[in-house]
Amino acid sequence: MKNRYLVGGPITPLLISELMTLGNDDNAAGAISIFIGKVRDDEVNGNRIEALDYSAYSEMAEKEADGIVKTVKAAFSDVRKVLLVHSTGMVKAGEVSLFIMVTSGHRDHATRACRHTLEMIKERLPVWKKEIF
Amino acid sequence: MATQVKVLYFGAAQQVAGKASEDFTAEDTASLREQILERYPAMRRVTFRLALNRNLLKEESLLKENDMIAILPPFEGG
Repeated sequence: MKNRYLVGGPITPLLISELMTLGNDDNAAGAISIFIGKVRDDEVNGNRIEALDYSAYSEMAEKEADGIVKTVKAAFSDVRKVLLVHSTGMVKAGEVSLFIMVTSGHRDHATRACRHTLEMIKERLPVWKKEIF
Repeated sequence: MATQVKVLYFGAAQQVAGKASEDFTAEDTASLREQILERYPAMRRVTFRLALNRNLLKEESLLKENDMIAILPPFEGG
């Protein structure tokens, strides 16, 4: 299965720019809500996190991500597009590991659907992380 | 009848098993679960759910030849 929702390594500024262009081709969408998740340099037991090494059950993650997009579109009638991308592999502190973009006719569904997508990713996407110090 | 199935380990479960996958012979997920815990006692410290052929299981299920069962610790994406 082709990976449409998972990308190896960090989500780069170039990829973010490409995704924003891809999602912004619809003149009936008056609102775009974007969430960008970054790796924090938390301190754990005196050690600073340098990176997170993400692993995924890719086949299931692609299926679940597809389901999340469909569920969000069904739940928010004004939503036009839902883009989501999650990293796998090594992502350094400060780099981006999650990108969500929701477009809709008006602001209310864009912001709420974006938040809802994020919560569903946390709940349904089979992804794990290992802290690298 | 007991059938051969493939078990996939993820996250903390993969660290406990020390491998990404292996074959088991089991007729249902309950007996498979017992075998896994017997082979890897440390797996008792890992909270996990099962997915059968990429679908999260809500209850124990019978197994067919070549089924794929994934051991899924709590998700950590986002």
